[in-house]
Amino acid sequence: MTSTDADLADKLAMALSGGLLLLGVVVTGLIEALDGAPRGAAPTTNDAGEIIAQPTIDPNIRTALVVAALLVLLVYAIYRLAVPRVEARTSSSTADTQPSD
Amino acid sequence: MSYDAATPLRNEFDFELSGPWAAYWVAMLRVITGWWFVHSGMGKLLDSGLNFGAAGYLQGMSGTTMGPFATFLAGFPDLLGALVPLGETAIGLGLMFGVLVRLASFFGVMFMSLFFVGNGDFAHGMVNGDLMGLLLFITMIVFAAGRYYGLDAFIERTEFVQNRPRLKYLLG
Repeated sequence: MTSTDADLADKLAMALSGGLLLLGVVVTGLIEALDGAPRGAAPTTNDAGEIIAQPTIDPNIRTALVVAALLVLLVYAIYRLAVPRVEARTSSSTADTQPSD
Repeated sequence: MSYDAATPLRNEFDFELSGPWAAYWVAMLRVITGWWFVHSGMGKLLDSGLNFGAAGYLQGMSGTTMGPFATFLAGFPDLLGALVPLGETAIGLGLMFGVLVRLASFFGVMFMSLFFVGNGDFAHGMVNGDLMGLLLFITMIVFAAGRYYGLDAFIERTEFVQNRPRLKYLLG
């Protein structure tokens, strides 16, 4: 297998981390934006600084989804360290890069 | 093989833009950057319609690096009131769906240049969120991000574009 092929671990990590990231940022963001003020993730305040509207979706849930996406990438990275890809390289090209002793 | 210090990527490491993770990540950056602008533009459209008040912000930029350009734009408040929310939304949708990504990113760079200079949020140094957003749009142009899981990949294969290769500077 060359490094340009995605194996099952790659596909799972991409789908899960990408799904969580897009859910936490885009999908929940769209719901928040369409559901009236505040359109962002922070409460709306008046001139006196009093909170007059809270976000529909708790920002902690959204950040948790983003952090979960990062954790998936971390788990994938650890897995890839433990189970490296089998590169389709020739032994002669590898020898060129080895330090001489 | 001697080590090429000027171009280290020619040595034992390949920058695999054809690889699955690079393509995936370029696409992910593109969609999230696009959503950033869609959210901003859509919020303005929903709250102010086509009457967004941008002229005051631009007028306040007089004396900055982009002052002459900003104050020139501020002379067209009605046009700006419509163009800012529509432009942000269009740029964002272009990036999210991967359509005319380089053209959309060019205008994204213009927006972010104005925000970077106009906001002047340099309390933590010159590298701030506005500059990072500006760099993201340039990254979209350099990598032709619309070609990765984006509709530009299909549009570029059409006969119309194939016969007009310069269009790839707007697509991709």
